[in-house]
Amino acid sequence: MSSSPTEGAAASSPAASGATGSLEVVMPQMGVSVAEGTIVEWRKRPGDWVAADEPVCDVTTDKVDVEIPAPASGRLERILVEPGATVAVGTALAVIDAGARPGEAHPDEHNGQPAPDQGGGSPATEPSTADGRTDRSGFYSPVVRRIAAKHGINLARVKGTGIGGRVRKKDVLAHLAQGGGPAVSQEPMLHIESPYRPEHATAPAGSGSPGPGAPPSETATGLAGAVRREPMSSMRQAIARHMVESRRTAAHCTTIVEADFSRVAAARGELRKPMARRGVNLTYLAFVACATVEALSGHPRLNASVEGDELVYHEEVNLGIAVALEDGLIVPVIRRAQRLSLEGMAAAIGELARRARERRLEPDDVHGGTFTITNPGQFGAVLATPIINQPQVAILDLEAIVKRPAVVEGPAGDAIAIRPMTYLCMSWDHRALDGADAARFLGAVKDRLERWEVRQ
Amino acid sequence: MNAITATRTPAQAGEMTYLAAISDALREEMRRDPTVFCLGEDIGAFGGAFKVTDGFVQEFGAERCIDAPLAEGAIIGTAIGAAVAGLKPVCEMQFADFISCGFDQLVNVAAKLHYRQGIAVPIVVRLPSGGGFSGGPFHSQNPEAWFLQAPGLKVVAPATASDAKGLLISAIRDPNPVCYLEHKGLYRHVKGDVPSGEHLVPIGEARIAREGEELTVIAYGSSVRLALLAAEELDEQIEVVDLRTLCPLDREAVLASVRKTGKALVAHEATRSCGVGAELAALIADEAFEDLDAPVRRLTAPDVPIPFSPPLEHAVLPQLEDMKEAIRELLAY
Amino acid sequence: METSDASAVADRRIRDVAGVHLTREDRADLLRYMVMMRASEERALTLYKQGKVPGSFYDGRGQEAISVGAAYVLAPEDRTCILHRDLGAHLVRGVTPGRYLANYMGRAGGVTGGKDGNMHFGDRRLGSVGMVSMLPDMALVAAGMALSFKLRGEPRVAMTFFGEGSTANGVWHEAMNFAGIHRLPAVFVLENNRFAYSTPNELEFAVDPVERARTYGFPGVAVDGNDVEAVFEAAREAASRARGGEGPTLIECQTMRMHGHGAHDDMRYVPKEMFARWEARDPIDRYAERLVTDYGFEPEEVDELRRDVRAYVEECAARALESPMPEPEQATEGVFAAAFEPLGDGRAPWSHWRRNGEGSAP
Repeated sequence: MSSSPTEGAAASSPAASGATGSLEVVMPQMGVSVAEGTIVEWRKRPGDWVAADEPVCDVTTDKVDVEIPAPASGRLERILVEPGATVAVGTALAVIDAGARPGEAHPDEHNGQPAPDQGGGSPATEPSTADGRTDRSGFYSPVVRRIAAKHGINLARVKGTGIGGRVRKKDVLAHLAQGGGPAVSQEPMLHIESPYRPEHATAPAGSGSPGPGAPPSETATGLAGAVRREPMSSMRQAIARHMVESRRTAAHCTTIVEADFSRVAAARGELRKPMARRGVNLTYLAFVACATVEALSGHPRLNASVEGDELVYHEEVNLGIAVALEDGLIVPVIRRAQRLSLEGMAAAIGELARRARERRLEPDDVHGGTFTITNPGQFGAVLATPIINQPQVAILDLEAIVKRPAVVEGPAGDAIAIRPMTYLCMSWDHRALDGADAARFLGAVKDRLERWEVRQ
Repeated sequence: MNAITATRTPAQAGEMTYLAAISDALREEMRRDPTVFCLGEDIGAFGGAFKVTDGFVQEFGAERCIDAPLAEGAIIGTAIGAAVAGLKPVCEMQFADFISCGFDQLVNVAAKLHYRQGIAVPIVVRLPSGGGFSGGPFHSQNPEAWFLQAPGLKVVAPATASDAKGLLISAIRDPNPVCYLEHKGLYRHVKGDVPSGEHLVPIGEARIAREGEELTVIAYGSSVRLALLAAEELDEQIEVVDLRTLCPLDREAVLASVRKTGKALVAHEATRSCGVGAELAALIADEAFEDLDAPVRRLTAPDVPIPFSPPLEHAVLPQLEDMKEAIRELLAY
Repeated sequence: METSDASAVADRRIRDVAGVHLTREDRADLLRYMVMMRASEERALTLYKQGKVPGSFYDGRGQEAISVGAAYVLAPEDRTCILHRDLGAHLVRGVTPGRYLANYMGRAGGVTGGKDGNMHFGDRRLGSVGMVSMLPDMALVAAGMALSFKLRGEPRVAMTFFGEGSTANGVWHEAMNFAGIHRLPAVFVLENNRFAYSTPNELEFAVDPVERARTYGFPGVAVDGNDVEAVFEAAREAASRARGGEGPTLIECQTMRMHGHGAHDDMRYVPKEMFARWEARDPIDRYAERLVTDYGFEPEEVDELRRDVRAYVEECAARALESPMPEPEQATEGVFAAAFEPLGDGRAPWSHWRRNGEGSAP
């Protein structure tokens, strides 16, 4: 097989061995006089699938900042140069296994060898259905799934020693015993939506507040004066990573509409006590959530995701509700929110928030969201520009509801009235949407809220 | 197979064979309770085909150790009548296989009387079962599954000498019809410590014969011994549950063990389809699904009549090598 | 329950009549088959004691006259259910000692190919349905075969054997009753050998089975089971009745089992004098003597016949010993039939069948 020159890379590595072998990502020459470049950030991790031409890292040179695209589709095998390092043009930065197929587990992720062929059984036993040669690394027995689910273990990372590389109960228990679960500090995993694999906690243990496990704060004097260091909790780090990635991924814009909440307030006034008697706390957020979900059915583009060159429309609305925790935030998801009534929505929001604060969320609770609403609280902030929750295309922020003078049109002409007003701030991804789409959608939400009838 | 006389010593403690333990239990109960009597073919003057009742006629007289005519229906039927009238008959089928000749009485009269009319039928039917000595199709069967399909019958199958005594005494004292499966292959090959005097093993209670973490073998009768031997030779963490009673089944013991180990192998000498193993496999799949790390397997005889010629019989009845192979396979899964 | 005196008179009368139906060659045959049964069973017992026969061993020592005498009357198209002390009937119908021994030894060449042992066999090619352990289940099977003959109007007979213990069993009643109701062409040969395993007659029934036959609507006749010609004649008459549409007969053959129920039985329950009395009436010795005294055989002729048979049995034994065991795979074969095949015909060595052809009443 002759090696074919790969496309997209400014300089092909002489080591390229063709579309089915290993390929290197090299430091490109971005200009005649550029001799070197510095890695700023890797967008992919070893084990990740990369598509041809997809950016794998950001590089900065004297002249220009640039994204390096992958020379071919495959799996990112190894990163050779870490962020911050400066290397000469032509240096290999990473290796891609172009022979890998999407969905394949990384070879390192399971190194259970197929068991030797068991041979025929005696007539008194049934024939073995597990042929030692079949790859059974992807099959998980009921007990293995149960244990993994309970502890948030990614089974793809557990080494299987059963027939065909199967992950056995003892394997997953051993994995757990070696600290292979989520954060060693037993914090619930923050599974923020990400196009990448779920985070593997590599950060040192630490809880939100400096606890017994946290390394002691160091006090040192630097150029800016005395400082106090505090390690970021894994949740904090995860949030940090996700936010930066989100900003890099989406083309963020924010559109804001103003909404008159008088009808909503009236409805809330009437419905609050009966619902409270049934154990449901009716918040303004619930109204906004219902209006949003309704509007999404008429504006499906807002309930989609960007995957490469495709827009993926989701049939269900899995509504993420951002919940503030003392040291961060988490976004549990109300699945199939489109079927809920106002009361159902309020109950679901309350339940999720409660579980989130009690740290009783399961990994499944934070997966699969298609649209997010955030409501940081009535602290007085009126506007915000939230960051989109990947891989969604929009996020709606509900800030303070403030009584303001408003112009109302009456039979006798315009008049001033006092109305509870708020700004609905939506950040959206310009890759998928344009301003008009965003505005139309928000208009629909506003409209819905401003026409709210109690009996609906 | 030569006639060997069982120990004729009076009831005693200490080590004795499975067969002697059965005699012991019967003798003890007949001494304790004058309403207990034996009924079977050749059990009187001859002492029984396997000598279980050797010496009984001498001690208890011909009216408490009755030589029945060659009529299993009559044996079971008259036992039922005697039982409802206040006696405690212990019937012997000369071979378990011959229960078919008295089947009607057992499943339609004995099993259903209480259900229909609140009449208790305290009979015990002793059934020498099992193969392994070229007994051929009519002297080697393990027919316990038939009884499990007749609600109203209790079914026990001891695997040790101690349980043989304890279960027989419990069976005699139970007010219901009890089918007592005594495996012929265990008669003289199994010895153990048997408590003297009154020794009761509750009906409906399994026993953990061996503890382990990796795999559970659920067995009864002749298969218990096989499982224990296999576990020892393989030197693995195998748990062996000796069911002891087949009906009513100790479901909790079975489920607890399987939940612990995640792997279950049910072993019995009886044929495969619709046997006790099939029932246990269904129970485990139903109630311990989320604890299973492997499919439930069964080690049984295939669905054939038990053949006579040694190489044929050997190929059909589960052997020690078969047990080890089945365990190995399941461990590796 | 001894009936020796009364039956001795009856036997003489029967014997005289029998003379009409048996040629010299037939008589030699009767002795030959009895000796063959004795020799085969002795050989098998030796093999059993040598560990070559797995399982259990049963024989009909002392009862040879019954199975040989009764089976000798059968026509080729008659059918049989032969029990464990009736090897003679198998031999008359064409089973060789070799196949019998091979069956006992569990060889592939045995009649059941190792599937069942000892006397639990019947060669279906010779019109025989093999017995089961549950006695007397075969009585019903024989009645069923007889029913088929009757329904098709065929002058054929179903013959079966059972011990006196079986008469205690409900199945026996059902077989007798049914045969009586429908006047089935069945010949029921009852071998009263005094003990059912260890159980004597008085613990098996209160009324002699011969008398009970009458209550089922057909005749019962008692004969000296150790007199082969008496048995033959009773069977001949019974078969003749059956073929003529007159229904079943119960033939009670009075005899005594000279060995235990099985080789594992030491017969401790048999009174010594009783045993000695019957031993003196050995059917083979008696008939061998009578061939010389009553039928003009030379003693050497008789001795030679007996020697020849034993030599033949030895030869069969040698070949059987060399025959292979079945393959383990065969254990699971043959549970179901692929198609129905009718039973074959048995051998019918009685001269009558060569003289007069099939089916004609003698």
